[in-house]
Amino acid sequence: MFQIDYYAYSNRMVSIHPAEKFLFSFITMLICLAINSYAVSLAVILLMTGAVVLRAGIPWGLYLKLMALPAAFLLVGVAAIALSVSFSGQAAGTFWGFSLAGVSVGVSAGGLALAGKIFLKSLAAACCLYFLALTTPMVDIISLLRKIKAPSLFMELMGLVYRFIFVMAETAEKIYTSQSSRLGYVNLNRGYHSLGQLVSNLFVKSYHRSKMLFIALTSRCYNGEITVLERNYSLSPGNIAVILLLDTGLVLFGIWEKWGGPAA
Amino acid sequence: MTEIIMEARDVVHQYPDGTRALNNITLSLEKGKKIAFLGPNGAGKSTLFLHFNGILKPARGKIIFRGREIRYDHSSLTELRKNVGIVFQDPEIQLFSASVYQEISFGPLNMGLSREEVRRRVDRAMEITGVTGLKNKATHYLSYGQKKRVSIADILAMNPQVIIFDEPTSGLDPKLTGQIMELFDGFSREGKTVILSTHDVNAAYSWADHVIVIKDGSVAGEGEPEDIFQDDGLLAAADLDKPWLVDVYRQLRSRGLVAEGCGVPRTREKLFGLIRNI
Ligand SMILES: Nc1ncnc2c1ncn2[C@@H]1O[C@H](COP(=O)(O)OP(=O)(O)OP(=O)(O)O)[C@@H](O)[C@H]1O
Ligand SMILES: [Mg+2]
Repeated sequence: MFQIDYYAYSNRMVSIHPAEKFLFSFITMLICLAINSYAVSLAVILLMTGAVVLRAGIPWGLYLKLMALPAAFLLVGVAAIALSVSFSGQAAGTFWGFSLAGVSVGVSAGGLALAGKIFLKSLAAACCLYFLALTTPMVDIISLLRKIKAPSLFMELMGLVYRFIFVMAETAEKIYTSQSSRLGYVNLNRGYHSLGQLVSNLFVKSYHRSKMLFIALTSRCYNGEITVLERNYSLSPGNIAVILLLDTGLVLFGIWEKWGGPAA
Repeated sequence: MTEIIMEARDVVHQYPDGTRALNNITLSLEKGKKIAFLGPNGAGKSTLFLHFNGILKPARGKIIFRGREIRYDHSSLTELRKNVGIVFQDPEIQLFSASVYQEISFGPLNMGLSREEVRRRVDRAMEITGVTGLKNKATHYLSYGQKKRVSIADILAMNPQVIIFDEPTSGLDPKLTGQIMELFDGFSREGKTVILSTHDVNAAYSWADHVIVIKDGSVAGEGEPEDIFQDDGLLAAADLDKPWLVDVYRQLRSRGLVAEGCGVPRTREKLFGLIRNI
């Protein structure tokens, strides 16, 4: 998670208007979900991978590691779809299977095809979300939500929570370091004890910190509402054209492949 | 005729746990001066600063800003806080936003300025503190010194008449310390009153126009740096070291190497000048 955040600020697409990236990610995802075909899902995966790795400059290693996560979950999930279980002998249409104590488990061509389709479609959707997460800083996403008139209280909270995740992680790390330098984790027993203290102190410190933060905000004329200036981005007609072109291409490809192309 | 900008009269402050952090403290600060507060840990410096900004309210006594007693209703406090800015000791508690730019824009926006004006001020504050290159970085990826600069830019963008720095140089390397002290000189040249607390006697000695020593919640001594740092009794009572310039000067004096009337040097260069004349 911290690595995603790190690259969100340091990738090569960071200066592009967040709305453009947001649109690209969501329109592409919608197309992929709506058309629902192998070829389109594959095309979306390739497109997004290209955008993330080649255009934004996210290292291959990190990207593959990140993709492995949803892929592993999806594999387990779709396995249940691919397998058909029956209690009255091998079901029709299975090309592979075994029986155990009267229960037969088999894989049918139809089940396998469906599983593959769902797997690719979901992976493609995950790619689209990763694209947004890896190229757009959280700060920009919150600004964008604010611009499209999401409730301001909610956005203030989101901003503070985001900032404090890092403050808390750092505090926890400091406490952990200071504990382990004094043998706090020398054995399992002491380890549990130290961890307990770490957690409770984290709460106390966070509470104190939030009180101090309130004081610091008050000293800058805080009046119950956090108003800040957003960074100015300019929309680029070139980028918008590229997005439209790519997504229109994707739709046309989907239509041709599904209804007009070689019989599937 | 000097003008008094801020005054405390017989101020007492007691924290809820019973600690008497300020004990009948009385002092006045001159407009446009560079004022350094010194004193041991727990003397009450931070507590006093929070009174100047209206965050804390004295249990007894009063705080006077520009000749008028501070009132604690919303609009008076807002007016006070526009004029008196405070940079907290720990930048980590002051920075609330993950974006440097948003962070600095918070104060001036609260002052009700137009967006263009705020943009101008934020850009200028970033330029002065040397953080322009960081404006698109996340605050959580900044180094301590960078966070410190951003916390100073926060207040600078509000352009207050009085700027209070609570231990601005603690935890900074000597080079950054030097740069920050120079920055403060710049504010002072613009006619602002600059107040800081520090444990660095050398920095206070060379930099300040006026030094106030706080101990146990009241003023133990105040005056020009030359006088304060030669008052051995006061320094011992407040656990303060002597600046090295004063030490060296005293050695030279006791050997009769410098003339009587030349006074204690405030800078390294002046001292070296004295030595060259030996
Ligand atoms: N929130 C609080 N609750 C209770 N006591 C406090 C609180 N804050 C400060 N004190 C106490 O008030 C006294 C003065 O503290 P203050 O922080 O003003 O000292 P200081 O001069 O700024 O010290 P330092 O040089 O260490 O920053 C100390 O004894 C401290 O323990
Ligand atoms: Mg303090």
